[in-house]
Amino acid sequence: MEISTNDYRVWTEGSAIHYEGTMRLSGTDAYAPILEIMHAVLEAKPEVITLDLTGLEFLNSSGINLLAKFTIEIRKQPDVGVRVLGSKSIPWQSKSLRNLQRLHPALELTIS
Amino acid sequence: MVEDFGQAVVSNGGNATRFCLTLRAEPLELSWHHCGVTSDFLGEYFSRSCGRGIDAVDARHSISYMINEILENAVKFRHGGDIEIRSSLEEDLFEIQIVNCVDPETATKFQTHLAGLLEREPGELLLERIEENALNPESSGSGLGLLTLMSDYGAKMGWSFASERVSEGVELTTYASLRLA
Repeated sequence: MEISTNDYRVWTEGSAIHYEGTMRLSGTDAYAPILEIMHAVLEAKPEVITLDLTGLEFLNSSGINLLAKFTIEIRKQPDVGVRVLGSKSIPWQSKSLRNLQRLHPALELTIS
Repeated sequence: MVEDFGQAVVSNGGNATRFCLTLRAEPLELSWHHCGVTSDFLGEYFSRSCGRGIDAVDARHSISYMINEILENAVKFRHGGDIEIRSSLEEDLFEIQIVNCVDPETATKFQTHLAGLLEREPGELLLERIEENALNPESSGSGLGLLTLMSDYGAKMGWSFASERVSEGVELTTYASLRLA
């Protein structure tokens, strides 16, 4: 599964979801197709879902809401673990990704 | 009449590096895309004026993120007219004022929202709002931008509503400032 535009690309590889580029969509409706891809991965109930954000340079607050919403969906399924990969060289990730861990303390966050 | 909320002041003085920009609304309609392009441009501009001791990559991102979030709101809630951006940097303090017109109903709703927002610790309120948005499928996710700026970026924010400065509607000035690390 893949969504690709001039600004960003989101694709899945097994239970890993990769994000790349700049995502500044206008709100929940605009982010819906991306959330659909994420839900499809969750529906397969893998042991661990990996959100790989290491290539995502920019995400606006509506996009952060999307990640938070999905984290809460995973939290409701105790058998599914979640791992979030971020990059130290992308400032928004060090500033905002910790919130996901506050929402779901079992979430494994690696910013390297 | 002018009503202020939060920290609606500027402190950068005559020695600051300044950049002012007016986004003309006509004849080309302002679009969502303009928010990103404008904020990236200003982030790039100011990151090049940063002195030693300031992380230019972080400054570029933080300035761009801040302008993008406020400009997205200005474009979303704009009641016609131009959008004015006044920005300045003095030592490690970046300040911005974004001025646009909103209709009186939007202004009243926003004032109620701000009164609630300013009473609370932004980090707590951010998580609370995220949980509420997750429960409500109709939610647009709005309101998170300002909270993210205040909670994750340590931004100081203020709003000034002037109802007599424009013939129709209310002139809203959004103030934001950021200590660059």
